[in-house]
Amino acid sequence: MPETNIPELLPGTLYLLILRTLARGPLHGYAIARRIKDSSEEALEIEEGSLYPALNRMLVKGWLTDEWGISENNRKARFYKLTPEGRKQLERESRQFNRLVEAIQLVMRTA
Amino acid sequence: MLKELWRRLLYPFRRGRFDRELEAEMRFHIETRADELEASGLRRHAALAQARREFGSAVRAREDTRSAWQIRWLEDLFSDLRYAFRALRRNPGFAAAAIFSLALGIGANTTIFSLTMEFLFSEPSCRNPETLASMQIGGNSHAYMPHYRFLRDAHIFDGLAGSNEESESNWRFGNDTYDLHVMRVTDNFFHVVGVPVAMGRPIQPGERDVVVLSDRFWKARLAADPKVVGKALIIDGRPYTVSGVLPHNHRTVLGFGLSPDLYVPASRESDIVALIARLPEGMSLQGAYARLVSASKQLDKVYPPDWGPRSSWANNVEVVPVAGLERLKSLNMIPFTAFFGMLLIVVGLVLLIACANVSSLLLARASARRQELAIRLAIGAGRGRIVRQLLAESLLLALLGMAAGFLLNLWLTGVMNRVQLPLPVPVQLLIQPDWRLLVYSMAVAGVSALVAGLMPALKATRGGVSAVLKLTERQVGGRWTLRNALVVGQLAVSVVLLVTGFLFVRNMTKAMTMSPGFDADHTVWALMRLVPEKYTTVAQTRSVINNALNELRALPGAESASIARVVPLNGNSRSGLEIRTDLSDEPIHVQFHNNDVAPDYFQTMGIPILDGREFVPSDRKGAPEVAIINENMSRRLFGDRNPVGHTFRYSSPVVSAPVTIVGVAKNSKYFTLGEENELAVYTPYFQANLSVVNLHFLVRASRPQGVVKEIAQALGRLDSSAAIEVKPMRNALGFALLPSRVGGALLGSMGLLGLALAAIGLYGVLAYAVSRRIREIGLRMALGADGRAIMRMVLGQSLSLAGIGVAIGLGLAVFATRPLAMFLVPELSTTDPMTFLGVVAMLLGVALAATLGPAWRAVSVDPAIALRYQ
Repeated sequence: MPETNIPELLPGTLYLLILRTLARGPLHGYAIARRIKDSSEEALEIEEGSLYPALNRMLVKGWLTDEWGISENNRKARFYKLTPEGRKQLERESRQFNRLVEAIQLVMRTA
Repeated sequence: MLKELWRRLLYPFRRGRFDRELEAEMRFHIETRADELEASGLRRHAALAQARREFGSAVRAREDTRSAWQIRWLEDLFSDLRYAFRALRRNPGFAAAAIFSLALGIGANTTIFSLTMEFLFSEPSCRNPETLASMQIGGNSHAYMPHYRFLRDAHIFDGLAGSNEESESNWRFGNDTYDLHVMRVTDNFFHVVGVPVAMGRPIQPGERDVVVLSDRFWKARLAADPKVVGKALIIDGRPYTVSGVLPHNHRTVLGFGLSPDLYVPASRESDIVALIARLPEGMSLQGAYARLVSASKQLDKVYPPDWGPRSSWANNVEVVPVAGLERLKSLNMIPFTAFFGMLLIVVGLVLLIACANVSSLLLARASARRQELAIRLAIGAGRGRIVRQLLAESLLLALLGMAAGFLLNLWLTGVMNRVQLPLPVPVQLLIQPDWRLLVYSMAVAGVSALVAGLMPALKATRGGVSAVLKLTERQVGGRWTLRNALVVGQLAVSVVLLVTGFLFVRNMTKAMTMSPGFDADHTVWALMRLVPEKYTTVAQTRSVINNALNELRALPGAESASIARVVPLNGNSRSGLEIRTDLSDEPIHVQFHNNDVAPDYFQTMGIPILDGREFVPSDRKGAPEVAIINENMSRRLFGDRNPVGHTFRYSSPVVSAPVTIVGVAKNSKYFTLGEENELAVYTPYFQANLSVVNLHFLVRASRPQGVVKEIAQALGRLDSSAAIEVKPMRNALGFALLPSRVGGALLGSMGLLGLALAAIGLYGVLAYAVSRRIREIGLRMALGADGRAIMRMVLGQSLSLAGIGVAIGLGLAVFATRPLAMFLVPELSTTDPMTFLGVVAMLLGVALAATLGPAWRAVSVDPAIALRYQ
C-alpha cells in the first residue's frame, strides 16, 4: 500500500466521511471504503481495521441502521443507511468541519 | 443517550448473531476485493490471498468492532460472576454454608425492615397522601362536632374531614350481640381523603345510617356475601344500610395496622373527630398552619374554650403530614420508633456475624486457592482485577443469600400478617414485598458482599506474585492473625447481641411472673357495652349497674363483685393536676392515675387497704366527697403522716370542694407493668357523674374459668342489645404483657439466631485453626511432647482468644444495652448479672467444644501420619 501518499485523517473525520458517503443512499462496507477512495482520487484510503469498528460505533449511536441485502456481485452483504439522526449529525459535523478548515486556511494565509 | 445505553445493554443477548454477521461481513469484504483483483488479472487463490493481506488482522478488527458495543465493566462483572458460579459449584459445601449464613442474616434484616416499614411508614389507602394533613387545635387530638363543622364551613382548605378511630358499636346478629370496632367518620371523609372501596360506594355527604364494611369483617362475619350491598345491619339498635366494602389491602389513615370492622358516619353531636384536611394545590404545611390558626381564632368567638380565661383554640395548633416521622412524633410514637430502630440495629449485628462467618470461610478458601491466584498474578492479571474477581464471588454469594433470604422474608412476614395480637383494637398487618424491600435487600446484599469479601480478597492478593508464590499452604497455618481478629470481633458482637436477646427474654419471664399488685388469678373481668341511644340518662345506666351487681353477687361461685371505670393495665387514666392538702396552702402538681371504683373493688381485686376503709354504698352522690389514695400518693402529699381523715382540694381549673381521704391502698400497677412509683387516687363510682356505656364489672371467684359463662348469661338477661365479653383477668393481661412478649420473642429469637451463626462460625474457625496445626503438633509429639500438655496449649490458645473476644464484647454490651432500660421492667437492670453470666458461659462453652474435638484428634494422631498431614 502506498501509505506515504495518504495524508493522515484528522481525528473524527472518519465519521464525517462515512456519513457524507451514505447521504446519497445505502451502501455496504466495502462500497463505502471504495467510494471514499474514488471520490478522493485515491488520496484517502480507509483501513478495514478502522472502518468496521467505526460503522459499529455509529450503529450504537443510532446514526445508522443496517440491513442485509444482495450486492451488485450477487453476494449477501450488510447495507448501511443514514437515520434522520445521522442526517442531523452529518449537517452538524460538516458545518463544524467547514469552520475548522476556514479557520486553518485563514491562519495559513495570514500568519 | 438512553437509547444508546439500551442498545448496548441488549448486546450481550445477541452476541452469537452479532459474531456470525460480522464474520459474514468481513468475508464479503475480502471476497469482493478478491473479485476486483481477479478482474484485473490475478488468479483466484492469489487474489484471495492478496485481499486477505490487505485486510490485515481480522482478529483485531473483530475485537475492535465488538468493543464498540460492549460496556466493559459490565462484561467483566458478568464474566467474573460466571467464573465465581463455576468456582462455587466445585465447592458445594462451602457455598451452602456461606449462602445459609447470609440468607439468615439478610432474611432477618429484610423482615424487620418490612415490619418497620409496614408498622411505622406504610402509606394510607387514600388519594394523593402528600396533599393530606392531620390537624389539631387547642392541643386536643380530637375536635367536637360543632367545632369541626365551623372549621369545615370556613372553607380554608379543599376539604376538611374528621374521623374517630377509637369507637365501638354493638352489632345484633341473630340472637347474639357483638362488640365491634368502628371508625366514625364525617360524611365527607371518603371524598376528602379519597378512600377507595372494592364494592358498592363510599359514605356520601348527607348520609346517616349507612355503613362501609372492612374486608376482614365482610369475609369473617358475613361469609363474603356477594350481595351484601344494600342489606341492613343492626348497629346500636338501629338498621344501617351497607353501602360498600373496602378492599382487602385497606390501610387506615392512622396506620399502625389498625383495622376497624366498620366505617359509619359520625352523626352524634357528642362525637369527637381527629381532623384531616385536603390542602389546595401548592399550599405548604406552613400556609395551612397559618390558615388554621386564624380560623381557630374565629372559633374562639363562637365557641370559647372552656378550660381557662386566657386559653384559645389557636394555641397548640398542629399541622403534620399523614405519614412519616413528623407524624410519629406528633402521635407520641417516638418510643415505638426507637424500639424499631433498636430492632434494626440488632438485626444489623446478626448480619455482621453472618458476614464474619462468610469472611472466615473465604479466608480459609483463599489460602487453599493461593496457587491459582499466584498463577493468575504471574501471567499478568492486575491485583485490582483479581480483587474484583474475588469480590464477584462474595457478591454472588450475597445475591444467592439475598434470594434465599427473600423466601425467608416472605414466610416470616406471612406469619406476622396472620398473627392476632391481644390489643384492645383490631390490628392487622398487611406486609407485602414492594420496591422499598427490593432496594433495601439489594443494598444489604451489596454491603454484605463488601463486608464479607473485601478483607479476604485484599489479604489473598497482598504482597504481589513473589510473596504469594513463596508462601506455601502449610506456612499460612502459622499466621492466622486476621482470622484471630475475626474470631475476637465475632465473639464481641455476639456477646452484645446475646446480652440484648437474653435481657428481653428475662424481661418477658419477669413480666409474666411479676405481680401486678392485684390478684389476676381470682378475678373475672366482664365488659358490658350498652347501646348509647337506649341509655340517655345517668339514672338509666345506674339502674342497670345496680341490677347487674346484684345478679353477679348472687351467682354461685362469686365471692364479690364491683365495677370500675378503668380496668388496670387495660386503659390509661393518667392526669396531671394541682392539689392542695389541708396541711399547707402550697399547691402540689401531681401526675396520677385516677379511677372511679364501686364498693368492694379492693376486696374483689385483692388490693390490700393498708389504712382506713374501702368504699361503702353510702359513698354516693350527695354524700361528702371521699377518696382512697395509694401509698405513693400518701407519701407525696402527706410525707410520713397518716393521711386518713385529712382532706385535699383540686386547685385547677377551679378550686374544688374538699375531698376526705378515707383509706390508703397498697401500690399496684395501673397502666403498664413497666411503670414505677406511680401515684393513684380512687374515687367512688357512684359519686362521680359518669355517663359511660362501657361497664367494666369485676367479679372475684376462686375458680374464674368456672363462672365465665354464668356471668355472661346473667348480664345478657339484663339487656339483650348489650355486647358482652367476659374473661378471666389473667387472660386480660395479654395487652399489658404484649410489649414484653413481643420484645422477648423478637429479640430472643434474634439472639438465638446470632448465637447459632456465631457458634457455627466460631466452631469453623477454631476447628480450622487447630487442624492447620496438626503437622506442628505431630512434630512436637515426635519430639516427645506430652499429649496432655499439647491439649492444654491448644485449649489455652483457643480459650484465651475467646476470652479476649468475650471480654471486649462484655465491655461493649455494658454501654450498648444501657438505652434498653426504657423497654425493660424496672426490676431488671441492663447489667443483670444472670444475663451476663449466662452469655459468657454459653459462648465459652461453644469455644471449648469447637477446640476440643480437633485438638483431641490432633494429639491422638500417629506422629508419623501427622507429619505428612497436608
